[in-house]
Amino acid sequence: MDSSSKKVPVTILTGFLGSGKTTLLNRILSEQHGKRIAVIENEFGEVGIDQALVINAEEEIFEMANGCICCTVRGDLIRVLGNLMKRRDKFDYVVVETTGLADPGPVAQTFFMDDEISSEFSLDGIITLVDTFHINQQLGRSNESTEQIAFADVIVLNKTDLVKDSELDNLEARLREMNKMAKFIRSEMANVPINSVLDKSAFNLDQALTRRPTFLEPEYPFEWTGIYPTKCGKYKIIMSEGPDPSMSLVVVPDQNADDVSLRNSAERCVRLYAEDAKSIKPEEIIPKGKHVNLNLESSGPKEFYIEIEKDTKLGLFAQHTAEEFNMKLIEVNNNDEVAVEVERTWVAQHEHDDEVGSFSIEKDGDLDEQKLQAWISKLLRDKGVDIFRMKGFLSIAGESNRFVFQGVHMIFSGKPDRPWGSLPRRNQLVFIGRNLDEKEMRRDFEDCLV
Amino acid sequence: MSIMETQPQKILRSGWKAYVNDYAISGGWNFNGEALIICDAAGGIYVFDGTSGKMKWSQGQVHEGGILSTAIHPLIDRFATGGQDGKVIIWNAQQKKKEKVIDLGDGWIENLSWSQDGEMLAFSCSRTIYVYTKEGNEMWQSDSHNSTVSNLAWSIEKELATTCYGRVSFFDGISGKIKQKLEWKGSLVSMVLSPNSDIVVCGSQDNTIHFWRRSTEQDSMMSGYPLKPSALSFDETGSYLATGGSEEVTVWSFKGNGPEGTSPLSLKLHTKPITSLAFSNRGMNLASGSRDGVVVLWDLKSENEESGLSETSVSDSVSKLYWRQDDKALAGLDRQGGVTVWRV
Repeated sequence: MDSSSKKVPVTILTGFLGSGKTTLLNRILSEQHGKRIAVIENEFGEVGIDQALVINAEEEIFEMANGCICCTVRGDLIRVLGNLMKRRDKFDYVVVETTGLADPGPVAQTFFMDDEISSEFSLDGIITLVDTFHINQQLGRSNESTEQIAFADVIVLNKTDLVKDSELDNLEARLREMNKMAKFIRSEMANVPINSVLDKSAFNLDQALTRRPTFLEPEYPFEWTGIYPTKCGKYKIIMSEGPDPSMSLVVVPDQNADDVSLRNSAERCVRLYAEDAKSIKPEEIIPKGKHVNLNLESSGPKEFYIEIEKDTKLGLFAQHTAEEFNMKLIEVNNNDEVAVEVERTWVAQHEHDDEVGSFSIEKDGDLDEQKLQAWISKLLRDKGVDIFRMKGFLSIAGESNRFVFQGVHMIFSGKPDRPWGSLPRRNQLVFIGRNLDEKEMRRDFEDCLV
Repeated sequence: MSIMETQPQKILRSGWKAYVNDYAISGGWNFNGEALIICDAAGGIYVFDGTSGKMKWSQGQVHEGGILSTAIHPLIDRFATGGQDGKVIIWNAQQKKKEKVIDLGDGWIENLSWSQDGEMLAFSCSRTIYVYTKEGNEMWQSDSHNSTVSNLAWSIEKELATTCYGRVSFFDGISGKIKQKLEWKGSLVSMVLSPNSDIVVCGSQDNTIHFWRRSTEQDSMMSGYPLKPSALSFDETGSYLATGGSEEVTVWSFKGNGPEGTSPLSLKLHTKPITSLAFSNRGMNLASGSRDGVVVLWDLKSENEESGLSETSVSDSVSKLYWRQDDKALAGLDRQGGVTVWRV
């Protein structure tokens, strides 16, 4: 997995039949990019391609006798690429268009497990096209579509003209839960900028983290924010029985309702949520700007007080939505319910409806190298089959450089990167996989900290 | 490792060198060793005078998309080429012309081989094998294999051996009937038959070597290779098997009860992975080539003691090594299109 500039980059194009792969391929080939592109196609596209060398090859999955899933490779690619690389007038770029039912694992692994292929070609990225009109049915039914989402570096939400914006937002939120690494692009007729899908260097360790602004979007430990107009005086929050015996909350005064203000407060609350919560029993006063944990163990409605010194808009950043606990804000003096002015829900950390999901670990501090190695080896040994992709950077105690890594199933590669310099030393890891035990992995990771 | 026991009469002495237009992928000495036939990846064929290196004739673009396979007829001045255009061409090297074009329409002709008596030509296209007469008339074709056919070889008994994912098959060369199937779950990337064709050896994608003794169907595996063992060669007696799959040449002895339970001989001089191996037609000389273009000639006469006789190099990664029938010349093909002939 080293990054030789002489290697020919390869982009893998996946997506269900009808998702628009061939349309995108035609767009790539007809663009004036000056590249000589060879295309390996596993299925006959619905649109003819006549711009470049197109090689049709039937998908051949070769499992090994040792049964190791990460040794499974694609024989057709080894054969075709092995022959392509012999020509002196080689191609500058290769695009592999898989069938809609292809498992991306063996395709990606071919570029790491086969020595002859990995010495000539570098995997540039996996692009997954999504037919936004049909994907919700497909995700429930097939492992392949789920895995194509999970392995992707770029997810193109195509045919957006057929789907309402709100549905697209929901779809994107769902897919983001499955794959937090990927960049999302929306398109109607696969009309995406070519540079957003080619030359991504997504598997290049040097580029692993610099290119991806959405790579580590903060995950919110709260689900809901409500903004209430309040005047000087005493208020109470009333809560009924809900799903949990307690609920975390941060009360933010002077909360504006615009998106920037909300996000800024959300960022502050993420940090507050990281601190230990102060436990508040019913009838007690909730301090503002503090992480509190409302104790809801007793039966019946429970009341908590908030004191307001001056007129303000009050933001409640709550672990659960108001609906779940039938939460109400009441002005104590006249017993009037205050209507919520603005509501906003956040993508919460632990919302995993799909078997396949992703999460990131972000922690300041240094890691003990030996403990880290032991953890990673155990993780790959025990969970390698379920981990589809991982990448990130680490701060190893005693090392002056960042350590960057990435992996596919059990194939792990890493190397020292640029020096930390004056930047704060911290760690960021992203995992995508099936039924990963996030809590356990977080705990085991934190045990590696010095 | 130093070069030992240098015997002057056996050193690789420079003969001639020529270049073809692209990656020299395959070829061989013609039936009487007077000409060296080379094919390049771009689809060019070149016929050189074997002694002087003078080009007798050449032709470019004989297969659209490039040549994938070559087979030199063992008894007459003919050869065959197969390409990405789904065609097999039988050439008359003497008259510099095509004898026959077999057009399968679509698919790659990746394997091509004349039977040892020169009467039949076998080739594979995708999952099917075809057998033709030497004149180019179809005799039979096989059913579809499990996967694309990866290797073809003729036995001395006019059997045709094929490999695909998970299986070695032996066909009766004349009738096309399957005589034997040997199964093992793996992608068989290379194959060689022992001279009496009792042993069939395959290199596998998972960096192992698997072999069967056909008479008993007993199979064994050799592991521990860091890379795919794609280069394999038996000596003329079938006693020694040379294998690549690393920067060392590993030689297994099939004498006695071996190679099971024995340690192989490791020949260490190359510093890059082995790409090509060829035992001489007679005797115990072994030529090896590596990815950095180094070619070594070994003398394996003395039991358990290797001696590198001579070391030389070509322009780039060695793709093929061909001994002339009399073993007095060795040709090396390389990735830069270099064709090098040494006198031995």
